[in-house]
Amino acid sequence: MTGPSAPVALTAHLALVSSISFGGFPTVLPDVRNFVVSTHGWMTDQEFANLFAIAQSIPGPNMILMMSLIGWKVWGFPGALASAFATFGPPCAIYFAAYRLWDRFRDAPWQRIVRLGLVPVTMGIVIASGAVMARAADTGWRSAAVTIAAAATTLATRVNPMWMLLAGAALAGVGLL
Amino acid sequence: MEMRGAGEPVTLTALFIGFLKVSLCGIGGGGGIVWARRIAVENRRWISDREFADIVSLCQFMPGPNIVGIAVCVGAKMRGAVGTVAALSGFLIIPWVVGFSLGVLYLKFAHLTVLRNILGGIAAAAAGLLIATGIKLLTPYRRRVAALVFATLAFGLIIFGRLPLLIVLFGLVPLSIAVAGIEQARAR
Repeated sequence: MTGPSAPVALTAHLALVSSISFGGFPTVLPDVRNFVVSTHGWMTDQEFANLFAIAQSIPGPNMILMMSLIGWKVWGFPGALASAFATFGPPCAIYFAAYRLWDRFRDAPWQRIVRLGLVPVTMGIVIASGAVMARAADTGWRSAAVTIAAAATTLATRVNPMWMLLAGAALAGVGLL
Repeated sequence: MEMRGAGEPVTLTALFIGFLKVSLCGIGGGGGIVWARRIAVENRRWISDREFADIVSLCQFMPGPNIVGIAVCVGAKMRGAVGTVAALSGFLIIPWVVGFSLGVLYLKFAHLTVLRNILGGIAAAAAGLLIATGIKLLTPYRRRVAALVFATLAFGLIIFGRLPLLIVLFGLVPLSIAVAGIEQARAR
């Protein structure tokens, strides 16, 4: 359907946006959508949304999987592999270098200050991400109750979270949610 | 929490398997943090809650999929560069093959209602797990008023202010660090 220039363009673009995807890959999703749907017309908006929903619901590194599925649509299996590498390769090199730097100054006084300032903000963001997910997933009081029960159980006990996911799946599977 | 002694290095296989578990168990956006904390902090006790919160925060500030960053950083902390490769391989290779195959299958069956309902139920529980993990990672800082204020601000600006993540991150963090700096200077 498309020549070899398409996968090269896609891979190069993914490598670029993954290097600047501050705040996680979802922040550059709108840009990827523009590139794939509007600029190149490799898939429709609906297909792009479906790939997102699929990637969110399978276990594993979901943004890498989503980009792989896009690569697969554009250029089959080689496209999938190339997209996967372009998505995690550049950020991994950056993570490694940054951690080395952080670790080298672990006892420096400034690092204590940065930690005291940084961690609360990012944890507020993590909790907000959970709330955003809850807003999307909780369609009624029953599913909201599942969210609250899962949070409360995790906070109060060390029960394996898998039981809560299974409970959510089972309740929804028999039509209770 | 009690830590491993320095004379007892974590094996590369343990890192591979640990992050393989993190990867396979994490469902939905952000689920990885739940499982990375469960395995690296609670079960294996490789690192403390405080160190884990450091790593998560560091990764928030870097480009890329943050959960992958957790594997890179924990691997680097335990065993250096080879540790990173082991953790990353565990995190990526098998889950990628499984997830990619599932994704291709899903593309064929995405219209089934039961499947979509079940996924919705999982997502509802997963949201609760994520909220609880954020709260747990915040608990080492619970006695510091400024920490609670900034966590609440970050939460509120995203949920009620509907501001983009990057604006919240780069707007609040300098302020938050400045307040922490003033506190430290006064304490001295």
